[in-house]
Amino acid sequence: MMIIIALSFLLITFLNFRAGRSKALKIRENTSIHSLPEYYGYYTAFWFLIPVTLIGISWLLFSESLITSFVLSNLQKEIVNFNEIQTLNFINDFKNLSEGRNITGEISLLLKEAASLYSYFSTVSNTLLIFACLSIGLFGFYISINKVSSVFQARNAIERYINYFFLASTCIAILATAGILFSVVFEAIRFFGVVDLDDFLFGLKWSPQMAIREDQVGSSGAFGAIPLFVGTILISIIALLVAVPVGLMNAIYLSEYSPSNVRAYAKPMLEILAGIPTVVYGFFAAITVAPFLRGFGEFVGLSISSESALGVGLVMGIMIIPLVSSLSDDVISAVPQSMRDGSLGLGATKSETIKKVILPAALPGIVGGVLLAASRAIGETMIVVMAAGLSAKLTVNPLDAVTTVTVQIVTLLVGDQEFDSPKTLAAFALGLTLFVFTLVLNYYALRIVKKYREQYE
Amino acid sequence: MEEELDSNFKTVGNIRTEKSVIMNVEDCNVYYGDVHALKNVNMEIGKSEVLALIGPSGCGKSTFIRCLNRLNDTIDIARVTGKISLDGKDIYSDYINTSGNMDVVLLRARVGMVFQKPNPFPKSIFENVAYGPKIHGLCKDKNDLNNLVESCLVKVGLWDEVKDRLEDSGTSLSGGQQQRLCIARAIAVQPEVILMDEPCSALDPIATERIEDLISELKQNYALVVVTHSMQQASRISQRAAYFHMGNLVEVDSSNKIFNDPSHPLTTNYISGRIG
Amino acid sequence: MNNINRADLNVTKLIERSLEKRNQKERYFRIYGISSLVIAVVFLLTFFASIISTGYQAFIKTDIELEVFLDSEVIYPNGTKTEEDLFFADYDSLIFTSLKEHLPELKNRKERRQARLILSSGASYKIQNKIIKDKSLVGQTVSFILPLDDEVDMYLKGYVDTESSENSRKITDFQIALVENLIEKDLIHRNFNTTLFVSGDSREPELAGILGALVGSFMMLTITFIISFPLAVSAAIYLEEFAKKNIWTDFLEVNINNLAAVPSIIYGLLGLAIFINFFGFPRSAPIVGGLVLSLMTFPVVIIASRAALKSVPPSIRDAALGLGASKIQTTLHHVVPLALPGMLTGSIVGMARALGESAPLIMIGMVAFVVDIPTSITEPSAALPVQVFLWSDAPERGFAEKTSAAIMALLVFLLLMNSLAIWLRNKFQIKW
Repeated sequence: MMIIIALSFLLITFLNFRAGRSKALKIRENTSIHSLPEYYGYYTAFWFLIPVTLIGISWLLFSESLITSFVLSNLQKEIVNFNEIQTLNFINDFKNLSEGRNITGEISLLLKEAASLYSYFSTVSNTLLIFACLSIGLFGFYISINKVSSVFQARNAIERYINYFFLASTCIAILATAGILFSVVFEAIRFFGVVDLDDFLFGLKWSPQMAIREDQVGSSGAFGAIPLFVGTILISIIALLVAVPVGLMNAIYLSEYSPSNVRAYAKPMLEILAGIPTVVYGFFAAITVAPFLRGFGEFVGLSISSESALGVGLVMGIMIIPLVSSLSDDVISAVPQSMRDGSLGLGATKSETIKKVILPAALPGIVGGVLLAASRAIGETMIVVMAAGLSAKLTVNPLDAVTTVTVQIVTLLVGDQEFDSPKTLAAFALGLTLFVFTLVLNYYALRIVKKYREQYE
Repeated sequence: MEEELDSNFKTVGNIRTEKSVIMNVEDCNVYYGDVHALKNVNMEIGKSEVLALIGPSGCGKSTFIRCLNRLNDTIDIARVTGKISLDGKDIYSDYINTSGNMDVVLLRARVGMVFQKPNPFPKSIFENVAYGPKIHGLCKDKNDLNNLVESCLVKVGLWDEVKDRLEDSGTSLSGGQQQRLCIARAIAVQPEVILMDEPCSALDPIATERIEDLISELKQNYALVVVTHSMQQASRISQRAAYFHMGNLVEVDSSNKIFNDPSHPLTTNYISGRIG
Repeated sequence: MNNINRADLNVTKLIERSLEKRNQKERYFRIYGISSLVIAVVFLLTFFASIISTGYQAFIKTDIELEVFLDSEVIYPNGTKTEEDLFFADYDSLIFTSLKEHLPELKNRKERRQARLILSSGASYKIQNKIIKDKSLVGQTVSFILPLDDEVDMYLKGYVDTESSENSRKITDFQIALVENLIEKDLIHRNFNTTLFVSGDSREPELAGILGALVGSFMMLTITFIISFPLAVSAAIYLEEFAKKNIWTDFLEVNINNLAAVPSIIYGLLGLAIFINFFGFPRSAPIVGGLVLSLMTFPVVIIASRAALKSVPPSIRDAALGLGASKIQTTLHHVVPLALPGMLTGSIVGMARALGESAPLIMIGMVAFVVDIPTSITEPSAALPVQVFLWSDAPERGFAEKTSAAIMALLVFLLLMNSLAIWLRNKFQIKW
């Protein structure tokens, strides 16, 4: 049904195009016109299709919640004593029922009524939508075809629209950033209404699970995020300790030493490493590395937790190696050859040239790359969710299990959510912290790298 | 006039130097992959003289100069045959240490190089000059190093200009100053031969004049091999000159002879401005 | 002026003294370089060895071949012969009757119960489906290939330590004896595991497959491509060809670069708060996943597309503009077609990254247990990487090999996409 409607709208668009073009062609028989006839066709088609699309999309975005609220307000008396979860379940049930899907539990009379109301409103809404689209689209067509004349500059108009479209596409980037901010900031503000900002940022105890009974308020749980920050940073540091030396040496070896055939194999290998999804790294960390480390610990007489920060950090470090390597490779090859010649010409060995001339020259770029890698490590989710601990223990011992910000976000938001419990809101506060922190890191990292590139361009 | 010389062409003029020989090149050939870039070059380089290498672009003069301190080794596809010796020792076979592959260090310390584009390291002026002595361990202590840096900067006439800002970056200097800094950096290692690959081509006339003066001064203590595009410059600074043409060393002789009465027609054409 | 007479110091001697040490350092440095590569290689090898060794058996399943008499009295106990009967018939007893013929040694109820558990609970559905398709089978004896229980499957694949105490494993000694008996009678076969590729998720490892997740991932990638490719290319064209250099474009650029580096879980929070809570989109649906992944891929494709546009030489633009083409005509007729392969390559790489992404999908509820294979983008669905996550967490041992198999499938798809990107790049790349 949807497809038929969409196709017929496209057909009308095409007819509009033909109409605009033929009008232009007719004018051209007697006098000259500004643009090619096609442009007049595009112009009339545009003024039909665009209003239709805009109305259609925004209608579809909002109609669902509008219809639902209509249904609810119609049944206000019956559902007056529903609590929030019951209401949500009720909504889910009558939607499923009206769309012919199976629902669990008994189908009550009320539910049936709601479902029929829902499908009634949906039909009304869809019919209205089609009529609204058609009339506004045709109105646009009417206006635009009247504009088609020998003096009208259709090409310029079309080009202007294309330009607007390009600009609008670019603005999606801003919308996305704004969206991220809105989605975390509002819930975070609600969270900070219950939990003190200082307690959150500097509290030493994290146990949101304590607030599990509904009659409890947030204050009975502890929302001190320091253990999470420490855990995150501990794992990230271990990851960087693995990734930076290995990745950097990789880049140095590949760009300065390796014969071209080694490079031909090593580069794709690094790309494979970079392409492995993080969930797979997480699986590997959990089933291969962690048991190995624990066994090794038993062998040498150390107690290593099976969710140790060490194991997680190691695997995360390996995940970041390609990132560090490719960023370092970029900055190292940006150092001009004349620097190498100058140093080698004085009799320096290759390694002296690299250590004393190339690396100092490339240092800002490398630092930028390391910051980006750090931001990646801090925001990494799947590896830690699958292989790191859940309980927030304040420790810097890499052999212990620690938890991270991302692990807690996932734990708090998976499963049933109550959007007024501080437990759920805490996830957004953590998200905000994570976003701000990585944003600052990324901003400085990218600025450093950019400045560095410009220096040698 | 793009005339190819046949494969057993012999260099005309006098390949011997009047001064005592420091470097000797015998049957040197260079290949870049399949390209035969330098063909059968024989020549002596003497102490305390300036040898100018001239010729049109792509004639092999830069290739030749890069052979003398084995900087061609850094190009993967380059292959050098023949014998080049420094003080009678083959720079390709006799400069081998126990490790086998790091022989170039000693060679390059004795045969310094200055490049076409000034390439100071992005470090301070002091560190630029001190770099060579530091890596080679030439100075006993900090004081020794300070004195060495100062004396090198004095020799290239840069001391008065930079003595108050030794900690500034080498790249903050003007082009001519940068090139003199690079020369100071080269002589800080106490080389015996200094190779200069078109040292003035990126500089303005005034800076060029200063470098030329400096070259004339330096020849008291060093053997200099200077690649240049400018015949006027070559005639001003050099005692001997060598003309390269499409990979061949066509003629080498005293500068007087080359610039006033060349023996080979190709040289004549180049000198009189018909090639190049 | 402190001009030391350095000619007295023999420079060569001085250098030679330290040369051995410097060469040593050079060798060490080179060795560090090689070992850093070796670390990466060793990891990659261990990684693949570990995944393949745990997962290769998942492509095989063990089945039992039984002649089942489809007793009309059992299937239609009321004699009504309605369609509804077919849904509630006791197929298990049919299977068991057949099984009993091969295992006459079963004595008491307990033993019969254990024998029953050798077969998967999905066996009866297999018979049911076949009968629903072809009702004329009722009353005949039909040969079925039925799945075994996952614990039996694990035993047959050699994962069960028969030496260990019976209490520590889920398969009993008696069951093992029965299975061995059935093998002797040549009833148990190893077949290629088609279930893995044609069914959705299940609580039973032997019935679980990745098709649902594959379809979900495919839907999301399609949405991602349809949304992010045109928008990102337009944005790249604007920034590269039209935007003037000013604070506004600088801001846009910083913004886009930062977006590309925002942790993916944050996009999940955005999807949850905006699409699900604000716009009321359904949870776990591919449409939401696709939108979130589009937003995530958007900056990546912009950056790749800008690089592709940059590589088109300005002479092309000058040539077109010189002929009197407008700026838009120049861009759309000449520059964009030349940059298109590069843009496509970049977007495929971005899509490959989106395919492997799980964190944002978990945030929008895609961890729900979904058995059905989705037929529309608003239905609940699974996604391939999330399936890996879910299975890796499952306690049944049978899921461990399934996880590795799903990982292999995921890696194969990633490899295919990246090969496509490389192929595109090599085929259409123009060297200017």
